[in-house]
Amino acid sequence: MSVTSAAQFQAVSQVFGDFTAVDAIDLTIPEGKLTTLLGPSGCGKTTSLRMLAGYLRPTGGRILIRGEDFTTAPPEKRNLGMVFQSYALFPHMSVADNVGYGLKLRRVSGSERAKRVTEALEMVGLAHLAGSRPKQLSGGQQQRVAIARAVAIEPDLLLLDEPLSNLDARLRLQMRAEIRRIQSETGLSVVLVTHDQDEALEMSDQMVVMKDGRIQQQGSPQDVFPAPANRFVAEFLGYENFVPTADAQVTVRPEHLHVNARQSPAATSDGLSLDGRVTDLAYRGVDVLVTLAADAPGSSSPDPIRLVADLRASTAPDLRIGDEVAITASPGHLVTLPA
Amino acid sequence: MRGHRRSLMLLLLPGLVLLLAGFLVPALIMLLAPPDTTTGEVLARLGQMLADPYDLTIIGRTLGLGLIVTVTCVVLGFPIAYLLARSQSRWAGVLLAVAIFPLLLSNVVRTFGWLVVLGSQGAVGQTLVALGIVDEAPQLLYTPLAIVLGLVQLFLPLAVVSCYSALAQVDANLDEAARGLGAGRARTFWTIVVPLSWPGVVVAATLVFAGSITAYTTPYLLGGSRQRMLSTQLFQYSSSTIDWAAASATAMIMTVLVFGVAALSSVMGRRARAS
Amino acid sequence: MNTRRPVAASLAVLGYIVMIAPLFFVVITAFTAGSTVRFPPDGFSLRWFEAAVTYQPFMSALASSLQLAVFAAVASLALGVPVALAIHRGKIPGKGLLEGMFLSPLIVPELVVGLALYQQFMIGLGMNNLTTLAIGHTVLMFPYAVRVTGASLALIDPAVEDAARGLGASPMRTFFTITLPLLRPGIFSAALLAFVTSFNNVPLSLLLQSREFRTLPVTMLDYVQQNYDPIVASTSVLILAGTVLVAVVAERTVGFAKIFGGINR
Repeated sequence: MSVTSAAQFQAVSQVFGDFTAVDAIDLTIPEGKLTTLLGPSGCGKTTSLRMLAGYLRPTGGRILIRGEDFTTAPPEKRNLGMVFQSYALFPHMSVADNVGYGLKLRRVSGSERAKRVTEALEMVGLAHLAGSRPKQLSGGQQQRVAIARAVAIEPDLLLLDEPLSNLDARLRLQMRAEIRRIQSETGLSVVLVTHDQDEALEMSDQMVVMKDGRIQQQGSPQDVFPAPANRFVAEFLGYENFVPTADAQVTVRPEHLHVNARQSPAATSDGLSLDGRVTDLAYRGVDVLVTLAADAPGSSSPDPIRLVADLRASTAPDLRIGDEVAITASPGHLVTLPA
Repeated sequence: MRGHRRSLMLLLLPGLVLLLAGFLVPALIMLLAPPDTTTGEVLARLGQMLADPYDLTIIGRTLGLGLIVTVTCVVLGFPIAYLLARSQSRWAGVLLAVAIFPLLLSNVVRTFGWLVVLGSQGAVGQTLVALGIVDEAPQLLYTPLAIVLGLVQLFLPLAVVSCYSALAQVDANLDEAARGLGAGRARTFWTIVVPLSWPGVVVAATLVFAGSITAYTTPYLLGGSRQRMLSTQLFQYSSSTIDWAAASATAMIMTVLVFGVAALSSVMGRRARAS
Repeated sequence: MNTRRPVAASLAVLGYIVMIAPLFFVVITAFTAGSTVRFPPDGFSLRWFEAAVTYQPFMSALASSLQLAVFAAVASLALGVPVALAIHRGKIPGKGLLEGMFLSPLIVPELVVGLALYQQFMIGLGMNNLTTLAIGHTVLMFPYAVRVTGASLALIDPAVEDAARGLGASPMRTFFTITLPLLRPGIFSAALLAFVTSFNNVPLSLLLQSREFRTLPVTMLDYVQQNYDPIVASTSVLILAGTVLVAVVAERTVGFAKIFGGINR
């Protein structure tokens, strides 16, 4: 057993009736790192988190925390800090009592408890709101209290279920950095569930992309982003253009596609080079989204394929709908996927 | 999982025991096998009742008055709920409280008021005499009218509450949207407000009808022995004449009626929600 | 009221008159100096209030009613809250059916329930009327307890309970430190509703009465049949005042309309 694993899923399944929410996944959560479980709704990410936290008992497999089997232990026996999507603050208790609740259960003495509550609240910058009720706080503040409450018990793992989905866009960006900071300050092993690929890319040490209860790909953002393992992961990470080739398909991101008025033969010999036509233009200030219909040499279908290019407005050629264009991409930006 | 199931059973068990021993079993025995008689006799008595003109009058009166009360409560209760739900006035809250408050008040107290109003020395009779309209105060008590008035007073708050909670969920902007599209006030009311709050009206009508055909205090005080209804008749069978077969047969009729109305209403409610 | 909707406004006014006017006349009659219920009343006095509070049968019936109502409220909640918990928090197949069964005493006519208990328990098993009344009132109030606390439970985010578990609280501890405090307004509403409903009940209390133990509404009903003096009017006014007090307490604590929102979903 690796010493650096905070938790492990070993062939863990969760079957509800005839629906398999999680299908025999194997997963190692590294110690002291931030791991995100990423995927669309229904992919099994939250179910996996709830099994790790003890709210759902796996229907198959084992869950180890720090090398010990916790598969059937109830949540209160696990010492994990969970932050819920709805924050789940206790509405009838003050902020300080919320944060101190877990410490009280651990029989931490009054003075020590007060000290640790203050520390936890200071960490999230809310020490001045200790006496408030959750109802009096903004969404962002409630979120911070929920994190402080989970961290105060010095958990073996900090689990966050879609922690940012109820915040507005600006606050969301701020909280991403905040959660990273807390993670590095405390050195906690963190598991964060999200459906937002930007969030996962920005925050993760390790990201785990899931679909239909199975892990599609895992690794650091630097490993996963440039090399999606399959079309699902590619689409989920924002790849939009899929071009069939003889035995596989290649994909390229919209911002890596070049569009130029058609000269004689296309300039690039390796990489991607297609002829096509502009079907739609959307000016968006900084950039222009160009929708294209391209002739696909490798495709078995006679229909043209649809491509999207995201061009910088300042350098984009002057295009009109209906223009015949050359579409190119350099080889370094092409990702080959299984067909 | 086994622990979960055991604790669920522990939570449910006392309630189940109460429900079975304190309600379902005694009620079933009473309906189907009352003392000193047989199920056959109960059913035979039921058959007789459904053929006997006197008993049929009682059943007819119960249903007829129940229907009148229901229609009256909806016709009076819906406008109250509608005006209160759409009012911006701060008095709306007070008026709503005034309409709901009688639900907390004893039926005996509420019904007693009608004895004061309708009795031979009462407000209505004496006013008519004082105005010289009649020479002698007319007998208003122990008439179907008295029962209807008493039951409407009793159940109108229920109708208001049901209609109000349905109307409160209908977005007032819809009214304005319809008006903006050129619908008149009346047209907006009948094509937007009424259809959208219909489930609440169905609930109101069900509660009022079921309540009216089973109420005891009001028909007893305001109808007396002259205007027997199923409930007063049931009490008669079970306490004065002690005719268990007749009591069970009457109880059966009342129970079947109430369940029938509840079933009809749930079908109507489901249809209203589906459309 | 609203003059732009003349039809609706007239119907509404008529409705309020039917609901309120009789009570108005009860109050007037209660203050009469005369010895019969008549209109207009003969002068003004408080003599009938004095008569009411010194009339032994009414006062002992009041005590009986209060005892019974408190018992029924407490007992129905003690049995109803666990049922509401099981229905709303447990994973039970056929939940709707189970809930329907627990609410069924609300649908069956009260007089039928009363007859069943009178016949089977008092006559059949020879139980005394106090025990039978206690059972009967608890049965009738039980659906209110299940429904009102259930509605209040449905408003509590289950994640709050999960959070307590995750922080180390056992299920029992979670219930007493989280669920129960959050459920308090619901329990209070249910208790209030059960208390008032039991206190006002006639059909059950009528069939299950005895000379030693009968409730106030039943005693009043009996009295009205025999006599025609204003003591019932003054007693009614006292009940009215008590009920207003209950309503004010309800409004101040949980909100008056909410209590009834709970029964008429």
